[in-house]
Amino acid sequence: MLKVENVKKAFGAATVLDGVNLTVSPGEVVSILGSSGSGKSTLIRCINGLEKLNGGRIVIDDFDVAKPKELAEARKRSATVFQLFNLYPHMTTLQNIALAPVEVLKRPRAEVEQEARALLASVGLSDKVDAYPAHLSGGQRQRVGICRALAMKPRYLLLDEVTSALDPEMTAEVLAILAKLAREGTTMLFVTHEVDFARQISNRIVFLDKGVLLVDLPTKKFFAASGGLAQPRIAQFLSKMKKD
Amino acid sequence: MRYGDFTTYDLLLLAQGLGVTVGLFLVTSLIGLVIGVLWGVVRFYRIPLLTPLITFIAELLKNSPVLVQLFLVFFGFPAFFHLNVTPVQAAIVTLSANTAAFIYVIAVSAIESVGREQIDAARAFGLSRWQVLRHVIAPQAAAFSIGPLTALLVNQLQVTSLISVIGVMDLAKIGATLNLRTLKPFIVWAVVGLLYYLTAKLIAAAGARYETRLRRFSEFRGL
Repeated sequence: MLKVENVKKAFGAATVLDGVNLTVSPGEVVSILGSSGSGKSTLIRCINGLEKLNGGRIVIDDFDVAKPKELAEARKRSATVFQLFNLYPHMTTLQNIALAPVEVLKRPRAEVEQEARALLASVGLSDKVDAYPAHLSGGQRQRVGICRALAMKPRYLLLDEVTSALDPEMTAEVLAILAKLAREGTTMLFVTHEVDFARQISNRIVFLDKGVLLVDLPTKKFFAASGGLAQPRIAQFLSKMKKD
Repeated sequence: MRYGDFTTYDLLLLAQGLGVTVGLFLVTSLIGLVIGVLWGVVRFYRIPLLTPLITFIAELLKNSPVLVQLFLVFFGFPAFFHLNVTPVQAAIVTLSANTAAFIYVIAVSAIESVGREQIDAARAFGLSRWQVLRHVIAPQAAAFSIGPLTALLVNQLQVTSLISVIGVMDLAKIGATLNLRTLKPFIVWAVVGLLYYLTAKLIAAAGARYETRLRRFSEFRGL
């Protein structure tokens, strides 16, 4: 189980997360909605240990990410897909995918590369095994980013606005893959602006506003007039997203 | 054949001098490369005390004439500490340290050119700081630095000519000796200059070739 307990994070005087509580159980898909600057991406960065907490704690399968010795174990259980792909430009797609399983999980390279090829084939990139990221489209890069995360066989997949740098066609490509992963039971914590997609694939929806978790509701209830929509801030956000 | 003629034997003497120049250049460049890169890594890890100390030493070396550094190592330190230092030892110490200072700057700049987001990704996937340095930063930093490094090495080759003033029998010193004997400065210095030029071109060509290999991943294909 992934537990976020009363997490506080500030950058200087600016409070970005203010007492956030969240639990993700294996098999769940939880989407985090909220406007830009609400702290969604910072929450993901705190979960994968890239940001130090100012308060509270985050535990992934009993490993506390704030403790250096436990962080390594926590990171083996989660994998992140980044908004701007964050691929290693000097490595081919295959090398990008194989790096962490070989170096971190200490798995045999041949076995990892065989799996990486299969992953690339599953997202329609079997002909891009030896391509460098610079020679791929945005959608292709993000598909490699997803394969890189899946190659770690994570218990928790963290997705940070993975379609916000893509055009509508490429967004559709990537969302189709995520929908497939959701159907297969992959546990996902999904930061997104794709409200309709979040509605389709999520078990629960969490709404963050100015670093505060406003609601954490089952998807149906979140979109019900008596549920999430009863909150003026959420109703305002959803109506604005519809207009956009 | 008269004593003042410029003969084919003199060409052999110049080739011998070139050998000394290239040998010292290679040794001091290699030492400078190792030290400069290590200093860059120390700066990357922000090691307390060592980082400001290295920056201070590099600043001293970069901002003072190589000739002054050479005199200090060959005349100054031996006199003060009662040491025996040969011209070759003084040349190796001075040129290595001077090269290291400039390579340090190139290494720092190359390391900082690697996108922060890639380091974040590697850390999030659980790679240790050493693994990030080895697999993500070093290969890209090497590719970024090869251009400025080649330019520096070409310059450092020319700088080696300064060691002739403390008596190292390098290409410049042999040239000066032949010049005194033949009194044909146009021929002697033209040949010496040509040898430096050809060696520099060789370094530049090797650098360009290596850069193409290291940057094969790059999107940039020229204007």
